[in-house]
Amino acid sequence: MEIIKNPNIDFLGKAKYFVLLSAAVIAAGVFWIASGHMRFGVEFSGGTQLVLQFQGAPEVDRIRDAVTRVSPGAVIQTYGDAGENKVLVRISQEASEADLDAPARAVRQTLADAYSQNPVTESSSEIVGPTVGADLRRKAVWLTVLGLLAQLVYITWRFKGGIWGIAATLAALHDVLVCLAFLAFFGFEVTLNVIAALLTLVGYSVNDTIVIFDRARENLQHRRKDSMTKLLNDSLNQTLTRTIISNGTTFLAVLGLFLFGGEVLRGFGFTMVVGIIVGTYSTLFIAVPLVNWWYSRQEKDAKPARAA
Amino acid sequence: MPAALQNPVTLWLLLTAALAGLVYAFMREELRVRGIAYGSFLLACAVAVWPPYELMGVPGRVKLGLDLRGGIHLVLQVVVEDARNATVDDAVTTARDQATRKGIQFGSVQRATSTSFTVDGTEPARVKDMRDLLRDYFRGGWEVRESGEGRFTVEMSDLYQRQLKDQTVQEAIRTLERRVNALGVAEPLIAAQGARGDQILVQLPGVTDVEQAKRVIKMTAQLSLRLVETQAASREALLSGTGGRVPDNMELLSGPGDTPGEPVYYLVRREALITGRDLKSARVGVDENNRPQINFTLNATATDKFSRETARNINRQLAIVLDGTVYSAPVIQSKLGADNRITGRFTTQEADELSKILKGGALPASLRYLQELTVGASLGRDSIRDGVRASIASMAFISIFMLFYYRLSGLNAIIALAANLLIVLAAMAYSDATLTLPGIAGIILTVGVGVDTNVLVFERIREELRNGKTVRAAVQNGFDRVWITILDTHATAIIAAAFLFQFGTGPIKGFAVTLVIGLVANVFASYFVSKFLFEWVLGKRHVESLSI
Repeated sequence: MEIIKNPNIDFLGKAKYFVLLSAAVIAAGVFWIASGHMRFGVEFSGGTQLVLQFQGAPEVDRIRDAVTRVSPGAVIQTYGDAGENKVLVRISQEASEADLDAPARAVRQTLADAYSQNPVTESSSEIVGPTVGADLRRKAVWLTVLGLLAQLVYITWRFKGGIWGIAATLAALHDVLVCLAFLAFFGFEVTLNVIAALLTLVGYSVNDTIVIFDRARENLQHRRKDSMTKLLNDSLNQTLTRTIISNGTTFLAVLGLFLFGGEVLRGFGFTMVVGIIVGTYSTLFIAVPLVNWWYSRQEKDAKPARAA
Repeated sequence: MPAALQNPVTLWLLLTAALAGLVYAFMREELRVRGIAYGSFLLACAVAVWPPYELMGVPGRVKLGLDLRGGIHLVLQVVVEDARNATVDDAVTTARDQATRKGIQFGSVQRATSTSFTVDGTEPARVKDMRDLLRDYFRGGWEVRESGEGRFTVEMSDLYQRQLKDQTVQEAIRTLERRVNALGVAEPLIAAQGARGDQILVQLPGVTDVEQAKRVIKMTAQLSLRLVETQAASREALLSGTGGRVPDNMELLSGPGDTPGEPVYYLVRREALITGRDLKSARVGVDENNRPQINFTLNATATDKFSRETARNINRQLAIVLDGTVYSAPVIQSKLGADNRITGRFTTQEADELSKILKGGALPASLRYLQELTVGASLGRDSIRDGVRASIASMAFISIFMLFYYRLSGLNAIIALAANLLIVLAAMAYSDATLTLPGIAGIILTVGVGVDTNVLVFERIREELRNGKTVRAAVQNGFDRVWITILDTHATAIIAAAFLFQFGTGPIKGFAVTLVIGLVANVFASYFVSKFLFEWVLGKRHVESLSI
């Protein structure tokens, strides 16, 4: 069984429309994030997040009444599956490093007083002081940038040409930006897990790009007469089935994660699901066209020189 | 499972032997050699990992992170300034004592900042003596500057400040280790972290009483026994006798008095007769009225000093100061020996905690909480369930698809995936790495990458078959051609994962661990094992077609 028999699609001819589409999505994302729509998890923003498990079904309204008395502006929502009786409490006020867990204690106390008929049986908490939050934000940005640079160096070395590395890296950067835009559009929080997903995508996207670059490198060895455009387009077509199947199965794997991985992995799963689609797209319509554009320009420059 | 196989040394030998066999097999072409080597390696992995989770009372081999089993994760900052202040205070005392001993008149010796102190108003005739004295006593680690008119500034060198920071953090870690051990926590992790070097990470898996653990960890527990000069009901009354200011060698402290709500203020000597370092042991006891108290025993040197000083100061008050609070200030009735007690209004639990803390020793500086993560045990179990459910769903999706699309060769891919999983789990059990929820996500992603390797190979074989190659040649070419691609793709993915390690010890590190192990294992499972399976099935027969 085969998905497509001998595909021969002109990917590179349509590339400019897709580049425009990507630019539009990224621009919209940047605008949306710049206007304050990106939500950060407690590990980055600092603050307190509690997951409380109640004995019986929690009445969110009554819990909200009790909690907002001691902590105005707290966000309260059900968490996980309905039968688990879990409620998430997010306290917006900054946790002071002098007494980090004071807001959390106040919430637990007020619930014990005002909502004693349905006691909290177990709780988890995540309290992050401002120092750690700021440190992590800086670290996340640096690690993503350094991760991209290290891959740039590796690819440049392996393919003996800067443009291959630059193209793969730009495609990966494109994926990170588009994923961030989608996270902001859909109101997902940027947590440490999401950053892990983004860094993984950097690896995955470059991985996907390399498979095709590799094919192009192989073709380059015994088809020196063809133009670079034809050669690259053929490489894309030759690996198309692999692209669809591999990314399709990985997509299924992370879809399982997104659907069944529970609340903790929801953001991670979402980022991976979006990222695998975008990673595939960027290989076809960003990375390879970039390489093509570079070499066509060189060929154009070279021709008049030869004529003269 | 025989007991011998549970022995770590046996396991280590087994896995090392299996790995050696594997290396040998990579150099050989014979199917039989490869078959035996691969098979025994996978078997060794299976033995190493069994049982993966707690089964019939045998603890599981894969260590679960605290997001899966519940527990506490704390990031603490050591307030290094405390240690610097204490060091400068000591230096001030030394300078003052030595100058007095040599008969040099001076205006004052005071701490200026947390790293320096100043000497003011040295009598003009003895400036040279003062200079020599300071240079002599503060030779290593300090810089003495003179700004005329008998004024000196003595400052800690940068190197000494760094050494002091490292020392303080190391000492804090050792103290915390002793306290955590007294709490009876299994497998705690206490380590320095952070670029500035003043942070400590404390992970206590399986701890349920979060509040107690936090109290025990945070208490500085600086104990000192000091002579009381005067005591009064208010600050003002206390200072009226000394002209409104605290004398240089005194300190103003307060503590709960006999009646609740009415604190008592004390003027006590700065110099301590006894500090926490002089304790040999501490434990809970009860007083005459059956109220809990803390009994402590001094070591021999301290006992001598304590006996001598108490004999000299009979009928004076002795303040028992813990972290700047006077717990009680009994009057010295007679010469005291090695065994003493601290009374106060303790509950039994407080007294128990306090004695454990005192036994563990004082922290060299106070601690601040920067981050706190607690996970309830049953919430951890929910996470395991979610993770396992997601893994099974993902693997089921993939397996069905591979069988459907590649038919019998799909079976090959499934075997490779299973081998990959087995190696990841074995490597985690072997290296004591912890499995976290993001770690499970890493395994699922590894499965995705594993399938990609299979797909790359299978598609290439199909392509070769389409080009009219024989089955054997197609398989050979397929694997050969794809090798470079697999090398490059895995290298870049490992580079990305390596950066995830830098996120420290949290769940993200668990993700990076499984991803890196998974990627390496995948090269073996999806390339070498898969290649072996193809060649083994093809055997020496002549094969017309391939189910792919």
